[in-house]
Amino acid sequence: MISSGALSGDLAAYLALLVAGALPNGVWRWATVLLTAKLDDRSPVFIWVRHVATCLVAGVVAQLLLLPSGALAHVPIGVRFGGLVFAVAAWRLARRNILIGWLAGVSGLIAAASFY
Amino acid sequence: MEAGSSPARAFWQGVADALKLPAWMLGLSMVGVGPLARDVGFSIGGAVLSSLLIFAVPAQVVFFGMIAAGSSLVSIALAVTLSAVRLMPMTASLMPFLRGPGATRPKLLLASHFVAVTVWVESMRRLPHVEPALRRPYFFGVGAACMASASLFTALGYLLAGSVHPAIGAGLLFMTPTFFTLSLVAGARLPADWIAVGAGFLLPVIFGAWLGPAAALFLTGLLGGTAAFLVEMRRKAKPA
Repeated sequence: MISSGALSGDLAAYLALLVAGALPNGVWRWATVLLTAKLDDRSPVFIWVRHVATCLVAGVVAQLLLLPSGALAHVPIGVRFGGLVFAVAAWRLARRNILIGWLAGVSGLIAAASFY
Repeated sequence: MEAGSSPARAFWQGVADALKLPAWMLGLSMVGVGPLARDVGFSIGGAVLSSLLIFAVPAQVVFFGMIAAGSSLVSIALAVTLSAVRLMPMTASLMPFLRGPGATRPKLLLASHFVAVTVWVESMRRLPHVEPALRRPYFFGVGAACMASASLFTALGYLLAGSVHPAIGAGLLFMTPTFFTLSLVAGARLPADWIAVGAGFLLPVIFGAWLGPAAALFLTGLLGGTAAFLVEMRRKAKPA
C-alpha cells in the first residue's frame, strides 16, 4: 500500500486525485448511465429510485445538521433545526419563493449564531 | 420556466436559472474544500481540479480529510466510493429526462458528471416544465453554470482559508442544508414524496445512534425510499 503521507510534488498529488478521488466517485455516475440504458423510462424501477434519491437527500440534510462540521458545530442543535423550520415558514409566507425562504433561514441562523 | 425555443437558448436558460440561486449554493458549499486542500499541501490549481473532476463535496471532504489523517490511497478510494453510492439513484432518476432524441452514450456520460445533490434537486424541480427536446441542453446549462461557480468558490475558499467570523462561518455551512430542504419541500406533491422527505429526516436520527454516518444514510435511503415507493404503487393500483 502506498501511504498518502508520502505524497510529494504536484504530479503525485494529481495522480492521487485521479485514482483515489475522481475515479471511485465518478464510477457510480457512469455505471448508472450504462446500466439503465435498456430500462423503460416508465418502469416502476425509476419511481423507486426517485424516492430513494429524495430520501437520501433529506438524509444528507439531517446528517449535516446532526453531525455538523466547523463553525456550525458550535451552534446548539435546536437552533440548527429551528433555522430550518424558520426557512420553510418564510418560504410559505413568501408564496413559495425559495430565495426568500433561504435568505430568511440563513440570516436567522447567522443572527442566532452570533450569540454563541 | 420558459426554456427558450432552440437548444442554444435552452442552454442559456439553464445557465440563467442556475444563477438565480443553485449555482451560488453549490459554489458556497465548495468554499470549505479550498482550506482542506490547502491543509494537505495541494496547490490552488489542485484544489480547483478536485472540484472539476470530482464535483461532489462529500467525496472531496473525505479525500482531503483522509489524506490529512495519513490514510493509504486504497482506503481513501474505498471511503470515497462509499460516499458516492448516493449518486447512483440520483443519476438513474435523472436519466429519463435526458434520454430524448439525439441522446448518445458520450453525451449522457458527460451529463452524468454534473449529477451532484444541488444540480439534482434543481433539475428534478425544473426539468418536468421544460420541453422534452430541450431538456438536455437546459441541463447542460445548469451543470456548466454550477461547475463554473464551483471552481470559482473553491479557489476563493483556498485564498480566504479560516479568516471569516464564526457566525458567518456557521451561516456558510447552513446554506446548503437550507437550500436542499426548501427544494425538497417545494418539489413534494404526492403523499409518497412527503414520506420520502419525512423518513429522510427522521431515520438518520434513529440509525445514527447505532451505525456510522455512511451506513445510516444508506439504510435511510433504502428503507424510506422503498416505503414511499410502496405507497405510490398502492395509490396507483386503486385510484380513489
